[in-house]
Amino acid sequence: MILLEPHNVIIQTTILEKLQKPGSLDVVFVDYDNVRFHLSTPERKTQLLLSMNIRCWDELVQYGALDVLRREYGSLLASKVEPEYNVSLEIDLEQAPSDPEAREAFVESLALLKRNALSAPFERGFETQKQLESSGGQGELMQVHYRDEEAMYIQAAPDRVTVIFSTVFREETDRIFGKVFLQEFVDARRQPSIQNAPQVLYSSRDPPLEIRHVPGLRNSEEIGYVTFVLFPRHFTKSVAPATISHIQLFRDYLHYHIKCSKAYMHSRMRYRVTEFQKVLNRAKTEVATTERKTASGRTMVSR
Amino acid sequence: MNLQHSVMSNVLRPYLAAVRSTLTAALTLENFSSQVVERHNKPEVEAGTSKEVLLNPLTISRNENERVFIEPSINSIRLSIKIKQADEIERILCNKFTRFMMQRAESFIVLRRKPVPGYDISFLITNTHTETMLKHKIVDFIIQFMEEVDKEISEMKLSLNARARIVAESYLTAIQG
Repeated sequence: MILLEPHNVIIQTTILEKLQKPGSLDVVFVDYDNVRFHLSTPERKTQLLLSMNIRCWDELVQYGALDVLRREYGSLLASKVEPEYNVSLEIDLEQAPSDPEAREAFVESLALLKRNALSAPFERGFETQKQLESSGGQGELMQVHYRDEEAMYIQAAPDRVTVIFSTVFREETDRIFGKVFLQEFVDARRQPSIQNAPQVLYSSRDPPLEIRHVPGLRNSEEIGYVTFVLFPRHFTKSVAPATISHIQLFRDYLHYHIKCSKAYMHSRMRYRVTEFQKVLNRAKTEVATTERKTASGRTMVSR
Repeated sequence: MNLQHSVMSNVLRPYLAAVRSTLTAALTLENFSSQVVERHNKPEVEAGTSKEVLLNPLTISRNENERVFIEPSINSIRLSIKIKQADEIERILCNKFTRFMMQRAESFIVLRRKPVPGYDISFLITNTHTETMLKHKIVDFIIQFMEEVDKEISEMKLSLNARARIVAESYLTAIQG
């Protein structure tokens, strides 16, 4: 699995299971970026309540997340939100589509709850770009603080939409590995097969010009900024959903692969060190381990 | 590639040969009790309490970034290695690798838990080690370690770069529209 999936596997499998065999349920689980989910059956077994807590909810609402969710889920969107959560969906299992394909699509769309909520600022950015094409000027700089120390910034311009991620590398190894990965992102576009991909820019320490005026930016060694420049061809009607799904998972994708590389290095080192151990063991002189016995047959044991 | 490889090992060979012969010559250790504290028997190169039992330390350099420092004494010898680190990545990989090994120092009997300042990894061989283990095999172990550690680090670096390339390409392919 190289690319991360945008949907939540737990929502998908649990709901599919409950569609076949309804039962009472109360599970709390998490997704990337400290998103918390609660899936329960508060009243009856066929009435599921799916709630989500996301750190940047207030910002998302400001950028039209409720409209996006209403469009995606319609009447499923609960009027009364479960306490401690930001948004709730009421799913009546009896009213789920019975056709297997439609059912699959229905569950898939539920599993995309986090992705849909986070897609609001992107959709707004793409729309703003269309409006600016004729009027000119700059769109509003939308900030989404989806993690404690990391954020995304989205800004539309007449000919493009810029998405900036700030990301923190907690330790030196991560920072150096991250640099290697990001350098490849910058260089990969030289390949003819992916020349049409969005331009990627990377700067460590200094924030890019677009967000330099934003207050509260940290200026330290461990922080890095990645800029994606999306042109209209990257968000035509047919490809926009896929682009949004991938772009919003960029930070998780990067860090996931940094962790994977570290794990791989570790298993390699483990192997190499046992090999060295074998070489050293060859230096040890064999100690005679034959059992020594007395005439009567008792074993001699050294203490 | 093959040619380059053989050229490289040709440069490496005299360096390793020099380390091997120096180390073999230095490994003439004998039991020696402390002259300062009664009933103590410590590696003199570490204790450093009597100057007259320490021999001249010796550095074998391959280039400015790679060298071996051998400190002989009457009952113990300390060998420190500075491993090649061309850039930031190699530095971090080398650091990780030596650290990983030094945390397992008790199973690598002759390995020191900390390197001598200025070096990446140190070995301490005492007279007990040369009595219980085959001397030439200890030397073999150190030479093999030196041979393979460079290889391992550059392979790890290559695999990191390869992974990064695949990761970047598959991501950008997915969003190229």
